[in-house]
Amino acid sequence: MMGKRFSVVNILINLRIFIALIVVFTVFSIFVPNFRTPATLVILVKHVAINALLTIGMTYVILTGGIDLSVGAVVGLTGMIAGGLIYEGVKIEAFGYILYFNVWAVMAVSVVLGALIGYVNGFLITRFSIAPFIVTLGMMYIARGAALLRSGGSTFPNLTGSPERHNTGFPLLGAGTFLGIPYSIWIMIAISAFLIYTARKTPFGRHVYAVGGNETAARLSGVNVVRVKRMVYVISGIMSAIVGLIVSSQLVAAHPATGEAFEMDAIAASVLGGTSLAGGRGSIGGAIIGAFVIGIMNDGMVMMGVSSFWQRVIKGVVIIAAVIVDQFQSEVQRRAALAA
Amino acid sequence: MKKYVAVSLLVCSFMFAFAGLAGAAEKLIVIITPAHSNPFFKTAADTSEAKAKELGYATRVYVHDDDANKQNEFFDIAIADKASAIILDNAGADATISAVRKAKDAGIPTFLVDREINETGTAAAQIVSNNFQGAQLVAEAFVNAMGETGEYVELLGLESDTNAGVRSQGFHDVIDQYPDMKMTAQQSASWSQPEAFSKMESIIQANPNIKGVICGNDTMAMGASAALKAAGKNDVIVAGFDGSNDVRDAILAGDILATGLQPIARIAEMAVEQADQYIKSGSTGQSEKQLVDCVLITKDNAANVDNFSLK
Repeated sequence: MMGKRFSVVNILINLRIFIALIVVFTVFSIFVPNFRTPATLVILVKHVAINALLTIGMTYVILTGGIDLSVGAVVGLTGMIAGGLIYEGVKIEAFGYILYFNVWAVMAVSVVLGALIGYVNGFLITRFSIAPFIVTLGMMYIARGAALLRSGGSTFPNLTGSPERHNTGFPLLGAGTFLGIPYSIWIMIAISAFLIYTARKTPFGRHVYAVGGNETAARLSGVNVVRVKRMVYVISGIMSAIVGLIVSSQLVAAHPATGEAFEMDAIAASVLGGTSLAGGRGSIGGAIIGAFVIGIMNDGMVMMGVSSFWQRVIKGVVIIAAVIVDQFQSEVQRRAALAA
Repeated sequence: MKKYVAVSLLVCSFMFAFAGLAGAAEKLIVIITPAHSNPFFKTAADTSEAKAKELGYATRVYVHDDDANKQNEFFDIAIADKASAIILDNAGADATISAVRKAKDAGIPTFLVDREINETGTAAAQIVSNNFQGAQLVAEAFVNAMGETGEYVELLGLESDTNAGVRSQGFHDVIDQYPDMKMTAQQSASWSQPEAFSKMESIIQANPNIKGVICGNDTMAMGASAALKAAGKNDVIVAGFDGSNDVRDAILAGDILATGLQPIARIAEMAVEQADQYIKSGSTGQSEKQLVDCVLITKDNAANVDNFSLK
């Protein structure tokens, strides 16, 4: 009897992020005209895609018990590197010649840079046993500083490229659509599908959970803890680079302050989606829904005309409430386990 | 052990010798501004530095990132360095007063550019562009282009910044005289381009009939313009404020209607010139509060704008 009642409560709480999603969606559907039109929903998902991609990377990191504060700064830096390559190319001093990469090469350079920064994070954390908070905090300053240094603080404007330089097409990443849906949404769908599968079905995914759950036990049972940890920061770095490219492509300009506080929204979405900051518990799918909840709140409040002061207060209240429910869930599960 | 002591003594003496040389050679002007990622502040810092060097001063440039506490620390450093004057684009109208007073008590005059503080008699000069007058100019051009009627959106700057409020007042001082001009949304986009972009996208969905967007600064105008372009709304009128090179190009390309040019380069030069005069004679010869008028930039004169000055 007891067990059954607990399991009903349990199911409700396990579904809480879906319930939150339905609640916020319903509320804004009622109060905001035009909220449920296809065009609004496409824009909404497009805004969510940016945070969702970062959230996926962040959730991998948090599942291992780490944190990545450098995400927003890496978004800014990779955008600036891509913008610089398109806007001013690479000067080869010896020949007095300026080399322009095509757009694919530009994007590849940025993604590789993001992966590299992630690897350095993971390397420092595992090689010198420094707390992830500290390493990625340092990397946040380094990447932001580097983004500002790249252009002396100014914007790389008008990233349309030119035919004679063979580097046109960059704005298409942000503005282009396939079947009426922007590319950034397709990118989010493809990457989420792949990384949800990886987390749930592959040995690597299980190792991520194992490392976060109990690192010593994972090591003793033969998991390559160092490799797993480095890998999750690489994933986070790659996600940041992809977002950096999408944002600068949408704006058709790269600005060094882009991405400020993006890591905070990613952490919030991850936690809202049920990821435990202690590691080992949570899911990529839940975190993505968390990103949707935050995205719907952001856009819905803007469309309702809520002042930006209240927007912050409300967002904060929702995040804290989610964590309280999360604590409650652990308690219920513990008691259910005892009762069984 | 003795060797180490000897070496460190030697190093120390060298350091003091150099410090002494640097101090004796030139008087120092300290320049403190918000982050250089906004070209407006970069121009303020670069122009003051160039002018100060031209007049034979050593310079040191600091960035307070709109953090009043950081700014306060730079004042401490400037006082310790025995600076001759401070040029400041400040981090808050009230939060800055105590720092400026502290410098005054230490015998260092502060010359404020771009943003005022809520006190007179403490700073040696407060040279700011006339944000209200500039906003009125932009609003007049905006209302004309709208045909004095229709729905429009206002994007506000960072709400804690005095200039955001003053510009909004200037806009409304003009626009509110036209009863057919209806503001359907008003949101802060914190002076930021990406934020203006995403908020504008949402606002377009909520208000499909908008005819115009008036923005508290140029970076937000760039963000709004990109969002309108992405939505295929190329006929919506966008107006900004500042007079940056990015918006100049957008005006020439027909994407943005107008902006109010704040002559920050001239303001920065005036501040350094007055600092020079003050250091030499003990007075600037000017009143403390000085307003410099803004200039309306449209397609007609945009080609003559470069780095916040009109040629």
